[in-house]
Amino acid sequence: MTGGPARPEIYSRRAWLATRALDVLPWPWGERALSALFVAAALARPTRLRRALAWAGQQSGGAKGRWRLALSCSAEHGRSVARQALVGIRTPEDLRRLVAVEGAEHLEGRTGGAILLGFHTGPLGVPVALRAAGVHLTWMGGPRDAARWSAEAWRAQREIDASLEMARGAALSQPAESRGALLYQARRFLLDGGVVYVAAGGWGREAFVVQLPGGAARVRSGWFILRRGCGVPVLPVLARLSGQTLVITIHPPLPPPVPDAAADLEACRARIAPLLEDYLRRFPQQCFALMRRASLGRR
Amino acid sequence: MSADAVLDRVLAIVASVAGPERTPETAGPDTLLGDDGYWLDSVDVLEVILACEQEFGAVFATDGALTPETVATPRRLADLIRSKTGA
Repeated sequence: MTGGPARPEIYSRRAWLATRALDVLPWPWGERALSALFVAAALARPTRLRRALAWAGQQSGGAKGRWRLALSCSAEHGRSVARQALVGIRTPEDLRRLVAVEGAEHLEGRTGGAILLGFHTGPLGVPVALRAAGVHLTWMGGPRDAARWSAEAWRAQREIDASLEMARGAALSQPAESRGALLYQARRFLLDGGVVYVAAGGWGREAFVVQLPGGAARVRSGWFILRRGCGVPVLPVLARLSGQTLVITIHPPLPPPVPDAAADLEACRARIAPLLEDYLRRFPQQCFALMRRASLGRR
Repeated sequence: MSADAVLDRVLAIVASVAGPERTPETAGPDTLLGDDGYWLDSVDVLEVILACEQEFGAVFATDGALTPETVATPRRLADLIRSKTGA
């Protein structure tokens, strides 16, 4: 990895330095090392450990399996951070070999734009992985999360959404003006037939909350406003690490919009909630984001 | 349409989206749309932009003209609209 790109705000200084240092190792050694480091960090920080155990104890395995789940969840977190930071992954082709996409047929045959709706529940870096797998999408995201992103091998990947340049500075900490202007641009992309990847928890005010064992998933309204304004289908996207492969599932579209906004939102919630509940039930070890946000006070 | 008329209509749109609770008593052309001004969030800002599109027939498209700076205040948004419509 060359040069010294700025640290994206999603990384702590330590995690960023670790991804940079471990990148010299051949894949997957850097991933494995970061996975072990995250487990060690979980054990070394009492507050973090208590939170992880409290959350894990509320999952289907109960108190008996909480240590195993808490530590495996921390390990998956480290692995996912490494994958998002492209540690040891030199080219888009290297990444493509590590990605499997299920449900891509739901995007085929469409005549206009579409929204891919991601969730902060499982592995990170899903939009970049989708692109590497050949799904042509524009990502309404914050700054790119990998130092390698600026390397020449990734130029074509970068240029896909060069016209959404403001996305690079439109992280949550940016002003509403910046994010509003970006929502407008995303709307234009959708009206022009593009596919836009939006994080359900990242844009707009809170639309609804999905209560899950050990915590809640908060869904914001940005994607919903775009859906109603553009009349495009919204396809939920969930991902999981299965062995070394990032399996990304594109689910069938949410029900078509109806004129009444409240009824429309409820119809979307009724489809999204079971998806998240099922995901947590089947892949709790992947849900490190939920674990990290868990409240210590809830048992 | 005069420059003042465009600005007045933009101010009315912003005030309508913000509502009386969020519109500061000292609100004016240079009041920020976001924090420390009208306190609009990103969806509100989108709503303002779309209302201006409809009101003035201006399409901002994705040509780079629409930036955080050009939508920072009602005055700057009015300037952008005039540059697009020749008003």
